[in-house]
Amino acid sequence: MKIWGMVLGGFPRSRYARYALRDRERGVIPFKDDVEAIDRASVQVIGAQLVAGLPVVVDGMIDWHDIFRPFVDAWRNVTVDGLLRYFDNNFFYRIPVFTGEPDPREYVTPRRVLRFKETADPATLKVVLPGPVSFAFMSKNNSGLSNEELAEKIAYILRDEAKKAIEAGASLVQVDEPFLADIDATKDHARLAAELADKIVEGIEDKAVVTVYFNVPEPSVFEELLNTKARYVMVDVVDAPGRAEKLIRGTGFGSHTPVIGAVDARRIIDDKPSFVEKFLKMVDSGVDEAVVTTSTWLDLIPFRYALRKVYVLGRIVEELAEKNGYEAYTIWR
Amino acid sequence: MAGYEVPRKFLTTVVGSYPKIPPAMELIKKRRSGELSEEEFRKLIKGPISEAVKDQIEAGIDIISDGEQSREDMVVYFAERVQGYRPGDWVRIFDNVYFRKPIIIGELKWTREMIVEDWIYATSISMGRPVKGIITGPYTMMEWSFDLKYGDRRELIIELAKIIRREIDELVARGARYIQVDEPALSTRPWREEAELLKEALDVIFKGLDAKRIVHICYGRLEKIIPYILDYPVDQFDLELKNSNFRLLPYLKEYGYDKELGYGVVDVHSLQIETVEEIKGYIDMLMKMDFIGPEKVYVDPDCGLKRLPRSVAKAKMRNLAEAAKLAREEW
Ligand SMILES: [Zn+2]
Repeated sequence: MKIWGMVLGGFPRSRYARYALRDRERGVIPFKDDVEAIDRASVQVIGAQLVAGLPVVVDGMIDWHDIFRPFVDAWRNVTVDGLLRYFDNNFFYRIPVFTGEPDPREYVTPRRVLRFKETADPATLKVVLPGPVSFAFMSKNNSGLSNEELAEKIAYILRDEAKKAIEAGASLVQVDEPFLADIDATKDHARLAAELADKIVEGIEDKAVVTVYFNVPEPSVFEELLNTKARYVMVDVVDAPGRAEKLIRGTGFGSHTPVIGAVDARRIIDDKPSFVEKFLKMVDSGVDEAVVTTSTWLDLIPFRYALRKVYVLGRIVEELAEKNGYEAYTIWR
Repeated sequence: MAGYEVPRKFLTTVVGSYPKIPPAMELIKKRRSGELSEEEFRKLIKGPISEAVKDQIEAGIDIISDGEQSREDMVVYFAERVQGYRPGDWVRIFDNVYFRKPIIIGELKWTREMIVEDWIYATSISMGRPVKGIITGPYTMMEWSFDLKYGDRRELIIELAKIIRREIDELVARGARYIQVDEPALSTRPWREEAELLKEALDVIFKGLDAKRIVHICYGRLEKIIPYILDYPVDQFDLELKNSNFRLLPYLKEYGYDKELGYGVVDVHSLQIETVEEIKGYIDMLMKMDFIGPEKVYVDPDCGLKRLPRSVAKAKMRNLAEAAKLAREEW
């Protein structure tokens, strides 16, 4: 079996990126200065991923206030409102408010790929998109459309995002549907998420990941999601390892390449290789490839520990490959 | 503690925190920077505490608090005083706004009283009213800290529980009769295994304790967690109900709820002051559901009042007390 590692999503801001954004909000520095500070932080986190040998990296999304915001800013007929707790985190996102059918003024991810793909070399870049079901169901919907219709409109915009990102040079498109792990998520949500993910990644299914994190989805919900044509499917196994094990042994990943969120992205203590190994062994007889990733984005822990997690992830992939005779896929091999 | 007899039914109380009364914030900052010693801080914070106590008494609250004037943050306050913690590193709360999440780097150890002195002082000026001893619970301390030492949540939560028990023992030895453990983090993770983890810790905290044992939980998915917490070793759950439009009540009835209930009837996130009639209506609604007797109902706000302007906080308490008085005549 071939194994490789990747970071699931965004990084926290470095101290100087924080300062620059603050100064920019206060009008103390001009726009380009905070862009430069963010670029420097992005180079730091890309560098950390390269040193860890990760073959697919993210730019860190350092400037994103939350997963929805850059898209809210880039689309017409959607604004933001007050704060809402982001799942079980002590982090709050601004609720998107749809007042009509969303309409893109510009695309978010393709220009990021162009900006960072040389920095990422010899690795390639992944882009991360908010899943349309999570987006629609976690927003205030005053659009006159049903939530399902709104999710579909969002998916059509994200399809163009994905296509343009791949054209710009991205190697992987990730669609995040954390809402499916919510206690109120149903099979219908999952069915819709799978359908819409397929719209987004149509024609690039081999370069597509669908993710569910912050909790283990109900087996019936996960089963529906497995109908997606995306090659990779990710689950967070850190948050409730017992239920994750049951899900993987019971439901499995179908014909998908498993992406296992086994490096704890919400705690700063070093992960034990044996924990990751246990989950790899659950899948290693049935597939020829598996991906080890962080349990969620790394932006919920301090910057220095996010860097450490990347290091730990890279080390665990190499160690487990060596120990179990897996083929480690890194930038060196 | 003579001179005040608490009513037999519809007692009024508070969840704990009260708006910071100057110069409380300034004192907290000076304590943190080392400009004030712990002793100097404890002496000077008595001014704000006496104001908070006065407001509660004037509003007609039966079981009061010290207003948590010493605590800027419910986790950081204890992290700054329990051995094994170090000051935190920056994590984002929203947008570009951050807070320093405390980090556990060594074996946790109780080394000194943390809330006892404020409680003793509040009791000395409460004109006989009981003062609740209020402490952040082990689950919330664990979830809202980083851990570099234990790496095992069960081990960590039990260690935290032992420290909390030690502090509670000090309080009870000084005469505290109402002990409240705050667990706002629990309702954000409403899974059975999380509730069971906290139960183990609460066994450590409350076993054999000779005082009223209360757990406060608020917001999030309370209705999902209720079936898993009914067998907790506590006398009372203090719950937020108004903000979630009392949707929890049918669940309580359905699950055969038989403990005392801290009944949150005013919204601490809203500046609008609930009228006496409105609050009385909420009490009547509860009584008409016919699953709990009036002697088991403690009327109080949803959660701590600290984010409200002082005048609004006081007015909400006053109306709540007035409504409870009316309810006592009727039920
Ligand atoms: Zn509360």
